[in-house]
Amino acid sequence: MKEADPHLPIVCGLYRFSLDNGPGIRTTVFLKGCPLACRWCHNPEAMSPEPEIFFRKTRCLGCGGCVKICPRQAIEMRRNTVFLHRQRCDGCGRCARVCPSLALQAVGSQEPAAELVELLLRDLTFFEVSGGGVTFSGGEATMHGEYLAEVLGLLKSQGIHTALQTSGFFEPVFFEAELLPRLDLVFFDLKLFSATEHRRWTGRSNDRILANFERLARLAPERLRPRIPLVPGATACKENLAALATFLRRCGFTVATLLPWFPGGREKRRALGRPAARGLSHEPMQRAEEDELRTFFNRCLTKKSTDP
Amino acid sequence: MAPVTLADISLARHTLSTLPRLAGLRRACLSARSEVCIERARHVTAFLRDLADPAESMEIRYARAVSHFLRNKKPRFFDANLLAGTTTGKPFGAPVYPELTGLTIWPELDVMGSREKNPQALTQAEADELNEEIFPYWLDRTILEHTRHREGNPPAMRLFERIVFFLASKAGTISHTVPHYRAALEEGLESLIDKAAAEEQRLQASAGADPEKAEKIDFYRAVQIALAGIIAYAENLSREASRLAALEPYPDQRENLQKIAEVCAQVPAKPARTFREAINGLWIMQVAIHAESINMAMSPGRLDQVLWPWYQRDLAAGRLTTEEALELIGCLWLKLNDNTNLVPETAEELFGGAGTVPAVTLGGVDQDGRDAVNDLTYLMLRVTELLKTRDPSVNARYDFEANSRTYLERVASVIASTKAVPALYNDRAAIATLVRQGIPLEHARDYAIIGCVELAVAGRSYDASSSIMLNLASALELALYAGRRPVTGDERIGPDTGEPGTFSDFEEFWQVFRKQLAWLIGQAVELNEQLGRSHQELLPTPLLSALFEGPFGKGRDLIRGGALYNSSGATHIGFADTVDSLSAIEQAVFVDRRFSFERLLKGLRDNFANDAELHAYLVNKTPKYGTENPAAQKNAERLLGFLFETYQGYTNYRGGRYRPAYWTMTNHAGQGKLCGALPNGRKANQVFASGITPVSQAATGLAGCLNAVAAIDPELIPGGEAFNLKYPEVESADDLKRFADAVEVYFRRGGLHIQFNIMDYQMLLAAKARPDDYPELLVRVSGYSAYFKDLNEAMKDEIITRTAYDLRTGRAAEFPAGHRNLLPAQGAPPPTRPATPLAAARSAITRNPVLGLLMGRFLTCMESRAADDFLEILLELMGLAFLVLPHYRKNIENFDGRYQFLSRDGHVRTGARFRDSRLERRETVSDPHITILFKNGRALMDFLLTPKPDILGAMLRQEVTLDGNLNYLYKFAYMARRLQLLAMGRV
Repeated sequence: MKEADPHLPIVCGLYRFSLDNGPGIRTTVFLKGCPLACRWCHNPEAMSPEPEIFFRKTRCLGCGGCVKICPRQAIEMRRNTVFLHRQRCDGCGRCARVCPSLALQAVGSQEPAAELVELLLRDLTFFEVSGGGVTFSGGEATMHGEYLAEVLGLLKSQGIHTALQTSGFFEPVFFEAELLPRLDLVFFDLKLFSATEHRRWTGRSNDRILANFERLARLAPERLRPRIPLVPGATACKENLAALATFLRRCGFTVATLLPWFPGGREKRRALGRPAARGLSHEPMQRAEEDELRTFFNRCLTKKSTDP
Repeated sequence: MAPVTLADISLARHTLSTLPRLAGLRRACLSARSEVCIERARHVTAFLRDLADPAESMEIRYARAVSHFLRNKKPRFFDANLLAGTTTGKPFGAPVYPELTGLTIWPELDVMGSREKNPQALTQAEADELNEEIFPYWLDRTILEHTRHREGNPPAMRLFERIVFFLASKAGTISHTVPHYRAALEEGLESLIDKAAAEEQRLQASAGADPEKAEKIDFYRAVQIALAGIIAYAENLSREASRLAALEPYPDQRENLQKIAEVCAQVPAKPARTFREAINGLWIMQVAIHAESINMAMSPGRLDQVLWPWYQRDLAAGRLTTEEALELIGCLWLKLNDNTNLVPETAEELFGGAGTVPAVTLGGVDQDGRDAVNDLTYLMLRVTELLKTRDPSVNARYDFEANSRTYLERVASVIASTKAVPALYNDRAAIATLVRQGIPLEHARDYAIIGCVELAVAGRSYDASSSIMLNLASALELALYAGRRPVTGDERIGPDTGEPGTFSDFEEFWQVFRKQLAWLIGQAVELNEQLGRSHQELLPTPLLSALFEGPFGKGRDLIRGGALYNSSGATHIGFADTVDSLSAIEQAVFVDRRFSFERLLKGLRDNFANDAELHAYLVNKTPKYGTENPAAQKNAERLLGFLFETYQGYTNYRGGRYRPAYWTMTNHAGQGKLCGALPNGRKANQVFASGITPVSQAATGLAGCLNAVAAIDPELIPGGEAFNLKYPEVESADDLKRFADAVEVYFRRGGLHIQFNIMDYQMLLAAKARPDDYPELLVRVSGYSAYFKDLNEAMKDEIITRTAYDLRTGRAAEFPAGHRNLLPAQGAPPPTRPATPLAAARSAITRNPVLGLLMGRFLTCMESRAADDFLEILLELMGLAFLVLPHYRKNIENFDGRYQFLSRDGHVRTGARFRDSRLERRETVSDPHITILFKNGRALMDFLLTPKPDILGAMLRQEVTLDGNLNYLYKFAYMARRLQLLAMGRV
């Protein structure tokens, strides 16, 4: 059993044989913790860097093993299932280890860099055969800069292709000195161009994000891949897309990926004891609407600079 | 190395519309109903009974019998196929091999044509001939009963007859091999006969004191006799084709028949000159082999290599177009579907839906290790893709260094299109595995697949690859219950290894498990050796031997070790469930120490009914094979290593070593039904995982699953493995690339075999619910292909529940919530006892009032719940029927049979002796042929008489136990059922 180490980030997901996060067959590593708090986030368990517990009451058999083992008396028996007092829980995960039915599950686990690399190297042949590699995501993986730099360094020493998915909210000097040299691709998410809207939906202004993008566009345009999530009611409106397109063109980009968005993360929010996100659609975007936005966006991106 | 010259290797322009002959033949093939063919049984039996000279050796006598049949076998032309020769006398026939298990259909002769599942039709005259003329000769002469008699009903045989520990396949087959057709086609059989004659003369003339001289002389003589039979058959085909051509009104078919007449006048007697002659010559030899050996997994081998010289020559000479070549290959593929196995109702439950699994092997490397993929490889792939038939079982070899990636991707696209075939083999792993078995490298490189997944050195090794099928979970249960199993009740069967509650660590349990397993293997091997000796005594194979490298040089039949290389295969059922159960015991009882062994055992006995916590823990929190969990991997490797060492320590009656294997046909479903709950959380009576595949839904990540299975050292699996993977869909070019990537990764990491079903949960559930909507749905079972509709329900469920990995996410697709009760760890209720259909129509078939009265009592008894006096009434009725019904009396003319019936509670003790056309009854008969121990009248009646005898169910409930010559029981069951049908007015 590993003891908690406050310096180590929590790896809250390891998606192997994943195909959407870069070329070839990849393993995507999700690091827990993010400076933004996007309301549409699919991975609510990756928002806080702190240890957390998923609790799914319907799976509980009421065996009570967790009640006995919890060092903070955060779990009590109520009728035939248990109740988790979140405010008392520090996410140590002892309850999850004894829970037979997966009603209690720790959100990920800490992995020292060398051990994480060992896990990733299990799939070396997949990377080699398919031209794939490892992608870091989150959360915001750059929140754990030193750790990330160490892991990337170990992977590069094995010649493995590396990629990062980032919200762009990072400290640029460290990024450019320690991370960028060890990355083959940077998927950079732009969400909302308006700083106010950005703050409204994600809790933070986008000043730093846009500035970071501009710097990277100058430093390493060939490795930079801008992406925009199409969140209905938030990012997916013509005004925002036109503004982002103008920004991208100014940075020298005429191509960017629009990511379709699906309502998700609700079940996980519930399992984390969080309230449901406000103001979000419960339905995915209609195909026609999405196509229209794509056409519009691409036209904005490619129209000549003399156009109004 | 043959260059690939095709402009389009997918041959997309050739379709079933451009190949109308194949389209028509395919339609007929898919709608054909199977019929029993007794032609072979009739001729072979008649010869051995009436014509054979008992002074001659069995080698000669059997060669004469086979030759006699081939000479008298009617040449038949059922359709517009370009090839001549039919395995049986029916368009889709199941030949009867009374020497082996043919007699098992005896009880069903009157009903098997009308049974619900996969009926096999035969006429009343044919049924009567089997009952009166053919089967009686074999009562004491089948391989099984000959062995029982010689060995004094040995304990190993008794163990086998409990069905739930291991199956001794030699009672029913050896076959399972790959002949050397190329040499026979190049030389012609006349030349082989001349060679055999020369060897015979040389031996006759030699003065040396060779102790085996007489045997060798007999072998060479037998070869000449048997091969002459093949030539006679081909001549008959030629003559018949000429005769029919003269009568044929349609010019196309007339021309075809004329051509066939020419071809059969040439091959296989003389060297094949053209591609068509080579294919037809090969097919005639394949037909002829089945005159001697049963039609199980007799595999044609590397046809793209074997037929290559003729194809290339014809193409170069402008005698053959691609179109014509495709048509000829298609005709062979459809011919390979012209026969099926004879399957009694009970065997349906164990093997249901299997074809005869003639395996064709394509691609890979040549004897020098170079790329062997040629144009013919792609033609054969295209034909496979277009026809989508159950047989032949097509296998593609792939060497990731020597073969092109284009070839792999083409194979992947054929799999995506057929949804099931071909299966894929890793050349690097397979060749290394054979080399470790002592095969020289260049011969190992020429390997071909036998039947399901077994490796043969084509034309050079005799592997009897399906000799033993051993249930690993049975050894586990013996270890858990100190030598007992729930299914066999209180009786101690294995060694008494003590109650596990006293074990201090996992190592102690492992040693106990090893002990039970080693004991079981010892029993299975001993019986296989005994049966092998019987094959040597009764069923030599001179015809097959002539088509191998080795026997000619050694002067020795294959069955006596004539092949260059020999082995026996032992395959294992329940591998993943056993590994996971070992890991679960280790984790639960000894690592976490969360549950005591007593609590675990109580949970297993109760099928977890009262311990949800234990069950959830076992399912969710213990190591699973297929996830790269180190503890699971350790236990998998340990088990594989132990089995490898144990089997390799045994030498068989032909001088070869035993080879462990992991493929299960449908036995993982059948055996699963007869096994209690297991420590991995699998509930009682649920299916096991197939082959070497991880337990369904236990390994949720594709990458981890591929890595974990690939990590197994293939050299520990010389008998072959079946790894089944399911993808919901493979549609786009990207999907195909990932598909090929996944295969390549698996092979580069050392995986030996992989095969696919490309289908999702919903479609399979729909196909189970509405079979008529999916008449052609082809699935990969565990080594062979089957039409889904033909499978038994348990097997269907097993295929449905196999983990389906989404190629786009690498994760297991969500199993439909409404059907989770199909999952082995969730467990539907155990199979319910089938309702006994009662006598529907009573009939006054007889004017004899006493008989009528008794029949009425018989039917009333059948309808009563207890049926206490069933046996009493049955025997009384039988006795009377013999007296008053001459046609019924025929059953026991010249028959001497002694039966002892005992009820388990001791209340009934009845002996029956059939002699001098009469039935005598007394309490005890001395020296009974068979003793039948039954729980009560009802159990005995269900066992013998219901239209669907529930023998597996009877086993489960331990309602009837048999001891003695089973053929006598089959005969008795036939007579009893006949009476039932008479009483019901059905005959």
